[in-house]
Amino acid sequence: MKRYLRLLWMQLRASLLLTLQYRADFVLDGFVEVFWMATAIVPLLVVYRMRASVAGWSFGESLMVMGWFTFLEGVLEGAINPSLVTVVEHIRKGTLDFVLLKPADAQFLVSTARFQPWRATNVLTAVAIFAWGFHLVGRGPAPWAVVEALVTMTAAVAVLYSLWILTVSAAFYVVRIDNLSQLFNAVFDAARWPVSVFRGLVRMLFTFVVPLALMTTYPAQALLGTLPAATLAGALVGAALAFAISRAVWTASIGRYTSAGG
Amino acid sequence: MIRVRGLRKHYRVHQRPPGLAAALRSVFRREYKTVAAVDGIDFDITSGERVGFLGPNGAGKTTTLKVLSGLLHPTGGEVNVDGHEPRRREDAFLKKIMLVLGQKQQLLWDLPPSETFELNRAVYDVPRPQYEATMRELGELLELGELVSKPARTLSLGERMKCELAAALVHRPRVLFLDEPTIGLDVSMQAVVRDFVQRYNERYGATLILTSHYMEDVARLCPRVIVIDRGKLVYDGALEELVTRIRPDKRIVLRFGRAVDTADLAGLGTVIRHDAGESVLDVHKDRVNEVVTRALARLPVTDLTVENPPLEEVMSELFARGRAERERHGKDGAA
Repeated sequence: MKRYLRLLWMQLRASLLLTLQYRADFVLDGFVEVFWMATAIVPLLVVYRMRASVAGWSFGESLMVMGWFTFLEGVLEGAINPSLVTVVEHIRKGTLDFVLLKPADAQFLVSTARFQPWRATNVLTAVAIFAWGFHLVGRGPAPWAVVEALVTMTAAVAVLYSLWILTVSAAFYVVRIDNLSQLFNAVFDAARWPVSVFRGLVRMLFTFVVPLALMTTYPAQALLGTLPAATLAGALVGAALAFAISRAVWTASIGRYTSAGG
Repeated sequence: MIRVRGLRKHYRVHQRPPGLAAALRSVFRREYKTVAAVDGIDFDITSGERVGFLGPNGAGKTTTLKVLSGLLHPTGGEVNVDGHEPRRREDAFLKKIMLVLGQKQQLLWDLPPSETFELNRAVYDVPRPQYEATMRELGELLELGELVSKPARTLSLGERMKCELAAALVHRPRVLFLDEPTIGLDVSMQAVVRDFVQRYNERYGATLILTSHYMEDVARLCPRVIVIDRGKLVYDGALEELVTRIRPDKRIVLRFGRAVDTADLAGLGTVIRHDAGESVLDVHKDRVNEVVTRALARLPVTDLTVENPPLEEVMSELFARGRAERERHGKDGAA
């Protein structure tokens, strides 16, 4: 465990050094990020100008969803997607061999290969959005609600990560997964809305297949203190299951790589 | 140290037929062919040995190295490296070995090589004092100097290879697999890599298997060679012996003080090249003494050297023989 924490730090360090080497990129990315953040809120503003509540969510409440969306987007763009790009390149160039030769868990090594450290600013933006939301709602969050929200968020990150591992595993079979990750990003974009906005089949899809509900709606409900305990339990079980499945698929893919390879 | 028995590695390859119609058909129904990259190989390598793998392209050299390092699972047979079964990829095994792929790089492209070294130190759990000692020694042997602190992308191919080697040896592997470590390097850099590999072997007693297209690498580094052709082992033994077996001839180079006619060389040996001032002859090794004496007595020789025929020629003759033999048994071999 201690060894893997040290490894994580070493990998993070390399990413930090890389970021600092390209200062211009750093500044530019920062600007682009602020711009996107601002545009992300525009649809919410437009919708809530017409009506006071959407699918039972007031503007202040739906800002909680927006806050978690911003947070999770930071996780996705800062810690998950960069490694995805790296691992796909490894597979294409055949340098995954070097990863497999290392005496450490290959999944851990590829998952921590690359970070975009400045994406940590998303956390600050998320906190600002929460503050604005609670201001509009007219109260602060209960301490236990914060804990519950963080637990739900952990489950959300686990699910997001599992989906990512499944995507990477697909790269062993089809090599070019750019489209797959674009599709994923497009779907993920829907997570900025509370899941109750969607109806019927789409809502089922976003709850169980691509669990956007778990990713942003549940943590927002937890923060507001309205998440049913059963839903929380279901989310935790679902997250654990997703993690286990993705691990198994990854192991099988590596097995296929080493037995076919060439 | 290394024990291989009946190693087989078969690939299932999708056959892509030529033409659009056939390609369209293959979208729905794929045809596969089994290719035997390695087809029943046995050998033993003792600790500290330097062994060269020789063979034409696609002979199965790289596949064998990948099986030995645990990257590929063998289709059949038994492989043991220092008490480990490579395919299990146990940490204890991975800490003992390293595979250097001359055509691929593990250095972090945008960062100085020293960062890759540090990362490998952490991955391999190398204690700080040992790491520093190793890096000092590698730095001396490879004359790394400033290179380690420049971004890898700014290094020349040769400089990068030096750093690749250093990165591969941070954990002082006891078994080193080198796949084309000198590919694309200029002659002087090839020599640097070669010298380094030999010194590493001598200093740490590491076992070494090398594949290379440059016969010079193998001739200088490996007292023992294993020749693989079409997945089969065709020779295992001393390089010297292989050369005399395939080409029992020695090459004699004569330089003359004045012009000599081709007719004057009659009966000496096979003339490879002849111009007025110099002749190159191939002579059976048993006749070398006699031919030299005769040449010195009859011709205005100012300089004379006796050498082995170039290894490249020996190898291409060996593989040509293999092909001819296969063609002779063509009918049963094709199945």
